[in-house]
Amino acid sequence: MSAASHAPRAAVRERPSLARRLIRSDHLAGWAFVAPAVILIAVFALIPIGWSLLLSLQSTNLIAPAHYVGLANYRALTKDPAFRSAIGHTLVYTVLFVPISVGGALGIAVALNRKIRGIRFYRLAVFVPLVTSTVATGLIFLWLLDPTFGLVNYVLHLLGLPQQQFLQDPNQALYCIVAMTVWSWVGFDVIIYLAALQGIPQDLLEASEMDGASRWATFRSIVLPLLGPATLFIVVWSTINALQLFDEIYVSTRGGPLGSTTVIVYYLYQQAFQFFNGGYGAAIAYVLFVAILIVTLLQLWVGRRRVYYSS
Amino acid sequence: MPGVTLESVTKRFAAGAAAVDDLSLEIGDGEFMILVGSSGCGKTTALRMIAGLETPTSGTIRIGDRVVNEVSARDRDIAMVFQNYALYPHMTVARNLGYPLRQRRMPRAEVARRVNEVAEMLGLEQLLKRRPGQLSGGQRQRVAMGRALVREPEVFLLDEPLSNLDAKLRVQMRAALKRLHGRLGITTVYVTHDQVEAMTLGDRIAVISDGRLQQLGPPQDVYDRPANMFVAGFIGSPPMNLLRGRVRAGQATAGDLVVPAPGVPDADVFVGVRPESLHPAVNGRPSLGFEVAVVEPLGDEVIVHGTVGAELAGVAAEEREAALLAGNGDRAEAVACLSPRDRPREGSVIRLGVEPDEVHLFDAGTGVAIR
Amino acid sequence: MSVQPIAAASERFPPLPDTGPSRRRGRLPFSPWHLLLAPLAAIMLVPLIWMVIVSLETRQQATTFPPVLIPSGLHFDNYSAAWNAVPFGRFFINSLLYSLATVAGNLLFCSLAAYAFARIRFFGRDVLFVVLLATLMVPFQVILIPTFLIVKQIGLVDSVGGLIMPNLCSAFGIFMLRQFFRTLPIELEEAARIDGTSRLGILFKIVLPLSLPALATLGIIQFMWSWNDFLWPLIIIDSQTHAPLQLGLSQLQGAHFTQWNLLMAGTVMSQIPMLLVFLLAQRWFIRSVAFTGIK
Repeated sequence: MSAASHAPRAAVRERPSLARRLIRSDHLAGWAFVAPAVILIAVFALIPIGWSLLLSLQSTNLIAPAHYVGLANYRALTKDPAFRSAIGHTLVYTVLFVPISVGGALGIAVALNRKIRGIRFYRLAVFVPLVTSTVATGLIFLWLLDPTFGLVNYVLHLLGLPQQQFLQDPNQALYCIVAMTVWSWVGFDVIIYLAALQGIPQDLLEASEMDGASRWATFRSIVLPLLGPATLFIVVWSTINALQLFDEIYVSTRGGPLGSTTVIVYYLYQQAFQFFNGGYGAAIAYVLFVAILIVTLLQLWVGRRRVYYSS
Repeated sequence: MPGVTLESVTKRFAAGAAAVDDLSLEIGDGEFMILVGSSGCGKTTALRMIAGLETPTSGTIRIGDRVVNEVSARDRDIAMVFQNYALYPHMTVARNLGYPLRQRRMPRAEVARRVNEVAEMLGLEQLLKRRPGQLSGGQRQRVAMGRALVREPEVFLLDEPLSNLDAKLRVQMRAALKRLHGRLGITTVYVTHDQVEAMTLGDRIAVISDGRLQQLGPPQDVYDRPANMFVAGFIGSPPMNLLRGRVRAGQATAGDLVVPAPGVPDADVFVGVRPESLHPAVNGRPSLGFEVAVVEPLGDEVIVHGTVGAELAGVAAEEREAALLAGNGDRAEAVACLSPRDRPREGSVIRLGVEPDEVHLFDAGTGVAIR
Repeated sequence: MSVQPIAAASERFPPLPDTGPSRRRGRLPFSPWHLLLAPLAAIMLVPLIWMVIVSLETRQQATTFPPVLIPSGLHFDNYSAAWNAVPFGRFFINSLLYSLATVAGNLLFCSLAAYAFARIRFFGRDVLFVVLLATLMVPFQVILIPTFLIVKQIGLVDSVGGLIMPNLCSAFGIFMLRQFFRTLPIELEEAARIDGTSRLGILFKIVLPLSLPALATLGIIQFMWSWNDFLWPLIIIDSQTHAPLQLGLSQLQGAHFTQWNLLMAGTVMSQIPMLLVFLLAQRWFIRSVAFTGIK
């Protein structure tokens, strides 16, 4: 809208030219402001999203030009036992990781939500692992769980329990990864839960106590429902991240032993960047995308119906 | 229906001054007791100690004959209405009302019956399926009361329940509360800073200041015979005029007001006269000069603000200096309530009289009432 | 009518020490919660403490059973060995460049865009916003391969520039800042407009100075993300000279995977910056994290 100027009372100004109006207009200003962001996101997000779909319909080794193969990649995926394993491992991981980290975080947040001496230290201790990188976590736990020299086996030895192979045992490795990632990510959930707990008005808890509720009943009937939105967020967030697990696997087990920790994204990495099946990798990525979308929408749908939101 | 007794109850928070200081109070069976005082005077703390949400630093609290100091709030059979209602936002009104009963493992049919009964009593039947977020302030307040009453508790505590309501609703709810108490007869302890509520609702009122009990008695007694300066200035609206004066030879004087004070020894005193006690002077009766500044007609009465030729009692040195600078000189601001017939003109000087037995005398040192 | 203080001494309770919210006289001299929290803190900290201990041991001590819990001496030479085994100095510099550049890029570009979305009415604004936001729904792995191909086309493979370019602006930052800008009182900006300030001027002189908390939050989130990023560097960087810290750490692992004392020293060095920042700016960190939950 061309700025109506403080028009001099004398001559009536003629209407500014189209070019001037355009330059002064909000439309141009708006687009000028968003231009850098739009260009960057278009080039590095929007185009890749579309291109990825195309790639999944092609066969390419990422160096030579690609050629179209229609839905061959997707058909191959349905018959691929390694892919099905990867899905299985990812699901097992997710089904363990999410409840353990969310439930654990809830308990920890409740424990941390008090004013005893040293509480700041305890809170920091819980948050610190969040700051360590995935690579560091992988390395630290690789050594902690070393079958021969690891600290954990030493402790088991002291307790008279048998030594374990941990990350070198195909039956245990995935569970070790669960433990490792819970350790490093639980702090995130705790921060969110703590904030939510502190947002519950004190007099609601007092009213519940006066109404005769035991501490546990107050927790179940008042605190938990009011934590609903936080819980929903954490569950959705954790699930999305769990389904995308990669870094810790790469650093600690490289998908082994015997492929027991090959999760979907690791399988994608192998296919696209080790075996140079670019199209196949893109197809895996798209399947993962759709899976994440469906799971998230499902969780949100269930959540919206059952979670109370304050207006 | 048991009463509540506080014996020398003191509450100190983390090495600070005492929030409640040696408070002793006996609330009778079925009585409606009001704890009144300005913000921060300790009345809410006292209430919370009765509820069990705070523990006394020293002293004993009894409900009936039972010492309850170590009994947790949930076992005391007390119900409380919080100032902000504390309704569970994620539950419907019906579930809010039924919550205390469900906690006591009452069978569902019984819960439903009682919830409906209380809803009917408080006019909440249409609202049972709504959530607190969808209710108005007055409706929320009634739900809070309903939730407290549904348990048929032994003692009923209310923490400034009407302070968040608008004026009209407040008047309605005051009457409703009084009716309710008349009907149910539950021992009630009610905390407020509003002295109108205190006067109209209580069987007895306890005036509290700085954590200490200033006076205890039926509202009319407290009004007619305030025990000290604080009570005198707190109860009554507009507040009592308090002037510096002295007693000499059986006469009390403050400015040009002279009142017989038989049997009172010579002393420096504060003289208190309620605005309502002032009327146009009658010849031969005690009176004082009044310079009218502002006249506020209220329809049934007229409130007259002005100054009298005396000093304001109990005023700190800085305020006195400020008053001097403001040009009031050594005159004290005073208020009178007159009938509309006697409405004076602004700027005029009138003489207002007062009956000797409506003049209160307080010791200038301690503030305690002499007469 | 006054009240007689009822004063039978035997009925008086002795003064209770004020233990705050607890309502019982505990039998322990400290809160029972310590019994739960102390082991929890231990579990959370032991891996990190162990990392430091191992980093100070000789290779002999590191690889013995039972493990040496208290090293005989503090072998800081592990640190210099790790530093020299792989170009650690370069790793730090690369990471610093990567993190600072992405933070700067995000703060700048996201502010510009967010301001426009929040305050300027322009053609296609709402549709564009939704489209940009939609990109957040797509997991990185989907765009990983094409982004690699694009960066290859630009010729930035195996360079820090290649690391930075795709991460210069994220829809998350735009979303966050837009929400924040909308909470600012618009009168300030309107007054400035009337005074003739350009929109750009308003953004930089009025809106941004008022948005420091949001900018700090975004900056911290982005910094931490870039500093700890692993997958993208893994794909785009081959050499050691251009590797950022986490990738470099993994390269150290590749080269010396049996020398755990060395590896732990390398790990400690790579984590110190982030740990320091965290300890110094805890409140900011925690706010930033809590904030992502509030969206």
